Amino acid sequence: MEIEIIYPPVDKRYLRRIGWQRIVKWVCLAAAPVCLFVNLCTGGKAWSVVVLAALYTFWTLALSPDMVEYNRISQLVRTVACCCLLLWLIDLLLVPGWAGTVVPIVCCSGLLAAEVLLFTDLERQKQNMRPLLLLIVLAIAGAGIALSVGSLARTWPWLALGVVGLASLIACAAVLRRDFLRELQRRFHTK
Amino acid sequence: MKEKIQSRFDKFYAGLTHAAQARIDAFWAGFDCHCRLGKWEKQRLREDFEAAILYYLDNGVALEQALERVAPERLGGFYARPAVLWFALDDAAKIYPLSMKQNRMAVFRLSVYLRQPVVPILLQMALTFTIKRFPSFATTLKKGFFWHYLDTAKRRYCVEEEHEIPCRPLKISHSGSQSFRVLYYRNRISVEFFHVLTDGTGGMVFLKTLAAEYLRLTGVQAEADDTLWDSDDLPLPAEYANEFARVPHSEKTSGFVDKPAVQMSGQLAKQKPCRILHFKMDAAALKAAAARYHGTVTVYLLALMFLSGRAATDETTGEASIQVPVNMRKFYPSPTVRNFALYCGIRQPLSMEADIPALVENITQQMAEKASQAAMGEMLAATEQLVGMLKYVPLEIKQPVASLVYGFLGDTIFSNTLSNLGVVSLPPAYAAEIESMDFVLGPEISNRASCAMVTFADTATFSITKMTVDPSFEEMMYRLLQADGVQVRVEGSAFYGD
Repeated sequence: MEIEIIYPPVDKRYLRRIGWQRIVKWVCLAAAPVCLFVNLCTGGKAWSVVVLAALYTFWTLALSPDMVEYNRISQLVRTVACCCLLLWLIDLLLVPGWAGTVVPIVCCSGLLAAEVLLFTDLERQKQNMRPLLLLIVLAIAGAGIALSVGSLARTWPWLALGVVGLASLIACAAVLRRDFLRELQRRFHTK
Repeated sequence: MKEKIQSRFDKFYAGLTHAAQARIDAFWAGFDCHCRLGKWEKQRLREDFEAAILYYLDNGVALEQALERVAPERLGGFYARPAVLWFALDDAAKIYPLSMKQNRMAVFRLSVYLRQPVVPILLQMALTFTIKRFPSFATTLKKGFFWHYLDTAKRRYCVEEEHEIPCRPLKISHSGSQSFRVLYYRNRISVEFFHVLTDGTGGMVFLKTLAAEYLRLTGVQAEADDTLWDSDDLPLPAEYANEFARVPHSEKTSGFVDKPAVQMSGQLAKQKPCRILHFKMDAAALKAAAARYHGTVTVYLLALMFLSGRAATDETTGEASIQVPVNMRKFYPSPTVRNFALYCGIRQPLSMEADIPALVENITQQMAEKASQAAMGEMLAATEQLVGMLKYVPLEIKQPVASLVYGFLGDTIFSNTLSNLGVVSLPPAYAAEIESMDFVLGPEISNRASCAMVTFADTATFSITKMTVDPSFEEMMYRLLQADGVQVRVEGSAFYGD
């Protein structure tokens, strides 16, 4: 059976990139149990959990990025979410007592930065609002929970975050108007 | 390159008479009315027009005729209006974004082989003029809270020169990314679609419209007929309707799960697909061979595939199963270019006799039963039921579960696939400019081969997407076809990745 070749030779960079990605993924997957094992053997604080969270952050941001909606807002929000998780774990497992203040400040900064990204390229980025809306909902929910469980003196960063979240929501609705409603209709459709 | 085109166009403009300059000015005024894209996109679109006009002039086409062929009126209102349309995914499409992974995406490819090499500049213009006719293709995939959806993306849809593996995953993640790609190589125009947009039938409508538009731009004139969509017609809602929701539903439902099928024994390649093969045959000879066994071409090929599959496995027990997509438009006529196909599984024990007449008879019976309207109605009802059950489950939960389930079950209930698009027709003047067509399925997870077939004019092209280097399957197919008097010309790719 003779085969006439009618396809072009393949750009080897594509194959090499896939090969490298595969290697780095396996290194990441191998690093996780090794860290756990070393931590269990040496004892002490559970630093390996923080390493696992860091590996997850690297995996999700660099090795296996979003296949749908990979844009500047989504990546910013994902980075903020991963940073908050890491900060909270460090507080919980290694150096306690500060995440309650720092995490809402990081979230608040992320929210403001996402707003800047949205409004500086509104025509294109208005189609990318889903992660921003998620962050806003989480910010408002976080403020609500904090308000119901702690005193104002301790929970003011969370309340500030809730206020920024609410303000962001109002700003989006005021600027986008019908587009905002249309966006919500698309995002929440069940058809 | 672009600067070169622009400066060439400026020089060309400066050398024109006042009357010709006025004509060009009027042309660009018309372009400005029809294109309200952002500055950068608009500039790129304008450069396409400039390149096309220069190409025509270089090839001896008169200025007036060149301007007429690429008249900006042919853009319609598509680029003049903001993007407001969006499309919920049809019921068959919903699984594709849920189950995709970085290296796994349901992509298929349709190609047309012209008698002349492709002119990329004109192909780009053809795509620009064609895309407005297919609003559901001029979209980008987005995530909702419950389901994915397609959001209109007003942008310059671009063609690319082919230099990578066929049916590789599309990059659909960036803002406004297109869910299909248009490729050219020598005399071939290919369109690779993410299945979320359309099925083979819808994809073929797009390819035919694109090819006809390209041929029109090269100067071929053809009488319009009902085999082809006019790219200047207004799109109708029925053409992008989710027909699964419209057709009557059966009371009974059927399941999607079946016994695992025997797979071919060749080792799965790291790079999938690892090879593409096309068996080009005389359509009349193939039909005659099928008729000798009192079967249709699809049934005859299925019989040969079962025999070839058996030659490619070391298993001695179990059943082989071939997935056969069923075009629902034959039961419920519809102009939709969205997905409107289901499938059935034709099964044969490995202990079957190597007797083609008996196989053809058995497969004909199975097809009559399993690809019937009643059976498809049951599967359609099951699809509707599943979609209904999942509709309020957040996407963030559905996605990992679907990906996991698809990874486990995947394609294990089938050994192979045969998708036959049938005979494709075009107006005679366009058909005369086309050599043949082919249809290639994307790679599967555990199946070692997937097959697809399309017939154009007197050439039937049977394409095999290989996921293993082991050549047993295609060699046996070749031998069986030759034995039945069907001469086969084999074309394809070299091995990828090994």
